[in-house]
Amino acid sequence: MNRTPLPRLAAFFSLALLAACSQRLPIDEGRLVIALPGTPVSLDPRLATDAYGEQILQMTHAALLRLDAAGNPVPDLASGWESPDPLKYVFTLRSGARFHDGRPLTSADVKFTFDWVLDPANRSPHRAMYRHVRSIDAPDARTVVFRLSEPFAPFLSTMVRGIVPAGSRAGGYAPPAGAGPYRIDDVSPDGAAELSAFDGCLDGPPAIRRVTVKFIPDSNVRFLELRMGSVNFALNGVDPDMLAAAEKTGRLAVEEAAGGNVSYLGFNLRDRALSDPRVRRAIALAIDRDAIVRTIWEERADVVDTILPAGSWARDPDLPKVLPDPFRARRLLDEAGYRDPDGGGPLPRLRLTYKTSQNEVRRRVATVVQEQLRQVGILVEIQSLEWGTFFSDVKKGNFQLYGLTWVGISDPDIYFHAFHSASAPPDGANRGGYANARVDRLTEAARREPSREKRREMYREVQRILARELPVFPLWAGRNLLVRDRRLRGFELTPDESYHAVRDLRIDPPAAGPAPAGTPR
Amino acid sequence: MSGYFRRRLLHAVPVAFGVVTVVFFLLHLMPGDPVEIMLGESAVPALKDELRRELHLDRPVLVQYGEFLAGLPRGDLGTSFRSREPVAREIARRFPATLLLASTSIVVALLVALPLGVLSATRRGTAVDYASGFAAMVSLAIPNFLLGPLLVLVFSIQLGVLPVSGYGTARHLVLPALTLGTGMAALLTRMVRATLLEELGKEYVTAATARGLSRRAAVALHALRNALVPVATVLGLSFGAVLAGSVIAETIFAWPGIGRLLIQAIDARDYPLVQGCVLVIALCTVLVNLLTDLLCARLDPRIRYG
Repeated sequence: MNRTPLPRLAAFFSLALLAACSQRLPIDEGRLVIALPGTPVSLDPRLATDAYGEQILQMTHAALLRLDAAGNPVPDLASGWESPDPLKYVFTLRSGARFHDGRPLTSADVKFTFDWVLDPANRSPHRAMYRHVRSIDAPDARTVVFRLSEPFAPFLSTMVRGIVPAGSRAGGYAPPAGAGPYRIDDVSPDGAAELSAFDGCLDGPPAIRRVTVKFIPDSNVRFLELRMGSVNFALNGVDPDMLAAAEKTGRLAVEEAAGGNVSYLGFNLRDRALSDPRVRRAIALAIDRDAIVRTIWEERADVVDTILPAGSWARDPDLPKVLPDPFRARRLLDEAGYRDPDGGGPLPRLRLTYKTSQNEVRRRVATVVQEQLRQVGILVEIQSLEWGTFFSDVKKGNFQLYGLTWVGISDPDIYFHAFHSASAPPDGANRGGYANARVDRLTEAARREPSREKRREMYREVQRILARELPVFPLWAGRNLLVRDRRLRGFELTPDESYHAVRDLRIDPPAAGPAPAGTPR
Repeated sequence: MSGYFRRRLLHAVPVAFGVVTVVFFLLHLMPGDPVEIMLGESAVPALKDELRRELHLDRPVLVQYGEFLAGLPRGDLGTSFRSREPVAREIARRFPATLLLASTSIVVALLVALPLGVLSATRRGTAVDYASGFAAMVSLAIPNFLLGPLLVLVFSIQLGVLPVSGYGTARHLVLPALTLGTGMAALLTRMVRATLLEELGKEYVTAATARGLSRRAAVALHALRNALVPVATVLGLSFGAVLAGSVIAETIFAWPGIGRLLIQAIDARDYPLVQGCVLVIALCTVLVNLLTDLLCARLDPRIRYG
């Protein structure tokens, strides 16, 4: 008999330790664990506006249609659609669609979903998106007819909203049923959402049967969870400087693809100096975007010359690329009347302020731009402001230069919103006060034009005009970065960070022989 | 005693009133518009006006303040802008997690501080004393946002024995409770040591040992009890610090508590939710301090409230 219980205790603890160490990882149980940086505010497609909510809903709630990487509508619940005239869209539903609770999905559910969004009493944040919809009819179980009050070409790109069963009440944490590949079993606020495969899904059940979505606010912790294997999928969830470490673990793989969020430099065209296109061109020529992408973004961004995301159907592939040319920049400033007062001495030709948010990367970008503009004789004062203050200044037109990013552009109608002379804030986003009669006419006509080909031509002309006049200077698009377990296959990265492809994911069997990365060190 | 208790509880009313008032007006002074944040930048002005009316944000600030105060006696904290759920329900959903984390970290702190403090005081000047003093300094110097990830690196990544983050099992509780409890343990250890040393120098201890009581018994039966009165007071005061620290610990460990809720509410400028969270945290602090005062009276009968 032992005099002290110590050896027995030690044995117990080492056993417990061993048990903990040899714990099976989620991937060995066939479970996908996704990390999201934030908690969704709502999982009701009629109310959700935040990115995290939308991303989960892409897995759980089917819509009439989806947008592919180029922004083209592709069938989801609707097998087809036609527009007999620009004021009428007729959708035909695929047969056999069911909600997670087994109820058949019919045109009445589609009508209910959009009627609910349009009812002012429900205060849906999406109502503005459908303000052109006059009425919705469901003549038979598989046909839905939308009538518009005026032609609105981007209409199809707004039909990506998830459909809920007729009669669903607005539920904060008790989301209504959907018809997507996964059903929501449980959501704990600020904790995790548990999803399971829906066998009645129209496109067949997804390969991975169980998905956990963890809400982890701290990016270091997201990385550590990935490293440990307790999370095995994170899209844009790991800071770029951690990626090399992620690749070294042996368990993780990093994938990169073009992203859709375009950063740009905004000019205030009401400003005397900046109203001169030669000054704007000179600033563009002074900025070396490639150098900034190389040094600050570590090559994880692509220089762009339009604000449309990569792959967009309306993007003009032949836009002239602005290459840095400080010599020409100085000559243009001379021509515009901003001569160097002391011939290379310390006095500037021109003084400007540059407003930016407090984001660390944006501030570093501002400093580099400041130095590059100093080279051509423009003295830039940087004002880095708290987000709320910064954004309200931008909207009020209280700036000379500002740096911002367009997020989630899905339709080229953005050009009407951002460059039409009538789109001044707060109604629109023409913050610099740009006015061009040709751009006004083209963006107005394009949003009423039913033909995709004709719209494309119009938007290409708009892009050429903007590239010439530079009311804003497009800078770069950050890349989408996926960190995933090596054994996960089949996910297609798209510029819009879509989670639709989660249903295509498969788990490879573990590699034979010695485990490649059983114990991360 | 119960009369005293009732009066002290009534003291909480002006404290809560003051906190609520300051927070209310600070929130409205902050730049950033909840309606803009909710609707996104592309919403049409008519919709924004509608929503502003719906949320009563179009009324004068003083009227909004009056409406908010009027709801308080009924326990009505308003409705969250973001989730459209009653604020009280939002808080009730998160509060148990925070309470569990805060109380566990206090227990952890006490379990470390009491024995270590007594040991340091009774073996003053020995290696044990110096080691505990050094450890306390280091623990106090490391901020929570660094300690948390360090603990994760050691226990989750290197040893692989504890989960990195999350909520649900006792294993999930260990690292956040250690993160929150370590600093307090260090503070309390030094406190126990200092007050116990003071008591040990007093005549009643000398008298007790002179009567033949062992030193161990003198410490355990007499000195420690008296030394604990200031310790309990500090414990009560630092409960507020633990709640404040939970904002960081909950964010690091993805712990679904009230601290993280508060951060999200501030980001969204969700005024009712921020007010509700701050009110609950303030009331908790008041209540815990009241309880420690009562505890002090139990420990030292000379302290009387009446």
